Amino acid sequence: MIHAHDSVIVRTLGRILIPVAQLYGCYVIVFGQYGPGGGFVGGVVLAASMILAILIFGQDADDSWLARVALHGDGLGLLIFAGVGGLCLIGGGQFLNYAHLQVPGLDEPARRSLGILATQIGVALDVAVTGISISISLSSEDEDEDEDDSDGEVSHA
Amino acid sequence: MTNQLPILLFLTPFVAGVAMPLLTAKRPGWCRPVTLGTVALLLFLALLNLVHVLTYGPMEYALGGWAAPLGIAWLNDSLAAMLILTVAFVAQVTLLYGYQVTSPGLERSMAYYALVLMLLTGLIGIVFAADLFNLFVFLEVAALAAYALAGAAGGKSAVFAFRYLLLGSLGAALYLLGVGHLYVATGTLNMADLAIRIPGLLSSTAVASGLIYIFLGLSIKMALLPLHGWLPDAYRNAPNAVTPLLAATITKISLAAWVRIEHSLILPGIEVGAVPVLVLLEELGVIAALAGGALALVQTDIKRMFAYAGIGHVGLILVGVSLGNATGFAGGMAYLINDAVMQVALFMIAGALLHLHGVRTLDELRAMQTPSPWLTGSLLVVAIGMVGLPPTGGFFGKWNIVLGALEAEHYLAAFSVLASTLLTLGFFIKVFACWFHAAAADAPAPPEMTAPLSTALGLTAIAIVGLGVFSDPIFHLLVGFASGGGG
Repeated sequence: MIHAHDSVIVRTLGRILIPVAQLYGCYVIVFGQYGPGGGFVGGVVLAASMILAILIFGQDADDSWLARVALHGDGLGLLIFAGVGGLCLIGGGQFLNYAHLQVPGLDEPARRSLGILATQIGVALDVAVTGISISISLSSEDEDEDEDDSDGEVSHA
Repeated sequence: MTNQLPILLFLTPFVAGVAMPLLTAKRPGWCRPVTLGTVALLLFLALLNLVHVLTYGPMEYALGGWAAPLGIAWLNDSLAAMLILTVAFVAQVTLLYGYQVTSPGLERSMAYYALVLMLLTGLIGIVFAADLFNLFVFLEVAALAAYALAGAAGGKSAVFAFRYLLLGSLGAALYLLGVGHLYVATGTLNMADLAIRIPGLLSSTAVASGLIYIFLGLSIKMALLPLHGWLPDAYRNAPNAVTPLLAATITKISLAAWVRIEHSLILPGIEVGAVPVLVLLEELGVIAALAGGALALVQTDIKRMFAYAGIGHVGLILVGVSLGNATGFAGGMAYLINDAVMQVALFMIAGALLHLHGVRTLDELRAMQTPSPWLTGSLLVVAIGMVGLPPTGGFFGKWNIVLGALEAEHYLAAFSVLASTLLTLGFFIKVFACWFHAAAADAPAPPEMTAPLSTALGLTAIAIVGLGVFSDPIFHLLVGFASGGGG
């Protein structure tokens, strides 16, 4: 269980830094298809921002509600990943062959762009959730509530 | 749609495993039916895939539509199809068996079922992977699930699972180091592509050391004898419902991964100094087969005894596939499939003994009540298979390894197969001596055996005999694979 930090400096800096970090994380995810970045890195940055929120404001504070909500999204990211890949199968292509995504009104480059973006969001979500659940598991002292190791290990696949 | 079979086989356990926490968070009772249904679907798809491969020949699956040397390819050939069918069968049987024998607390635990499905996902990936790095990723997916499963009982099992984790990670690191060496030297990770480039580069130290690192890494994963330290204790202390699955899959599929690399990269003529590499591998197999059998003979703990028997058989299979001829290769691979089924049966019996009778060691076995005829019958069938008597698949595997050894004029290899057979017979005699002695009247009566447990035992016994009955087509398929047809 992590309790709130009592230093004013830390709390104030946190209020400034956390939104910036989250914005940067989203930017890295979206930018991933054009340059360095992508789902994994973006997910790590997002996770770091939420872990920071937990460390500064405590696990139960209103300010870290996003991290608590994210914990329930265990596995959702991988389902998005597999789902996008599966939609390509329905379109007749191989797994993750985005050219076969059946989206009306989009040409092939746009489909590929959309497909990779959706996949990256899935990866980012999963990496972020895994990061948060690791840090919360490590901080829980005797309560063995967190048994979400089932998804933690596949996030690098 | 049939050309999507490899990915469908992979996605079935993957999606179910990932969705498990979401599906069953409010309804823990759903875990078991969902998992059983998923594995049943997997079994059906695996059968379909085998039929498809036999009809249309091997095929390559390019993920994302990127063709092989550039993208990641999966190879779906007869060997892969058979291995996947074996894995699916073994998983289905273990889950059936788990109905009665699960440790308290594990029964309703969502994590257990999700981990089993993740293990299957990793194993299917290993079998299909035709790319060294892709293989590494799936090795790790399977291994991480296996570590968690081995430690699922908590307490002492967690200690041994942690040791397994450390050694397994060392193996993975060595493997990755080897892959790095090969990538630097050749610029490719695709196995078919490597097979073209490696023969010209064998004088390079980087390539040689890369192959050695890959072999060492996979040796830890397959528990080849000097590197088997993690296995006996991890298997002994893992939950009853977990050990059969781990014993039947992890070491065997890691060995199959090595066989794929060896088959495509190490040609019979390659030598180190004046010694052919294949002969070196074969000698390592001989040592593992003999020492594993001997170590099994001196154990008093039943699960540890069976674990050492499995270690010995890994050596035996390595002997077969390293003989450098198609007969030995087919014998080795046929024995690998048989051994997976036999290991599942052995550890199911050991687990049932522990769960129903509270028996862990041979002395306790001597002092227990007469066991159920299902257990006795199934142990008899497994013993016949492990020793290698004709109606079972074990016989045909060993027979062809011996034939291959004689064909290659490697008499030491032929001797090791026969000697390991004798050692296997030896420890089964020890077990049976205690087993049929068991008639203590004062021991408490064991709880009833439920239908899923006896079904699981019956199914494996049928499979052991069935693999013997159908050994001829299996053997011809594998000979065809070994002589380069691929399926």
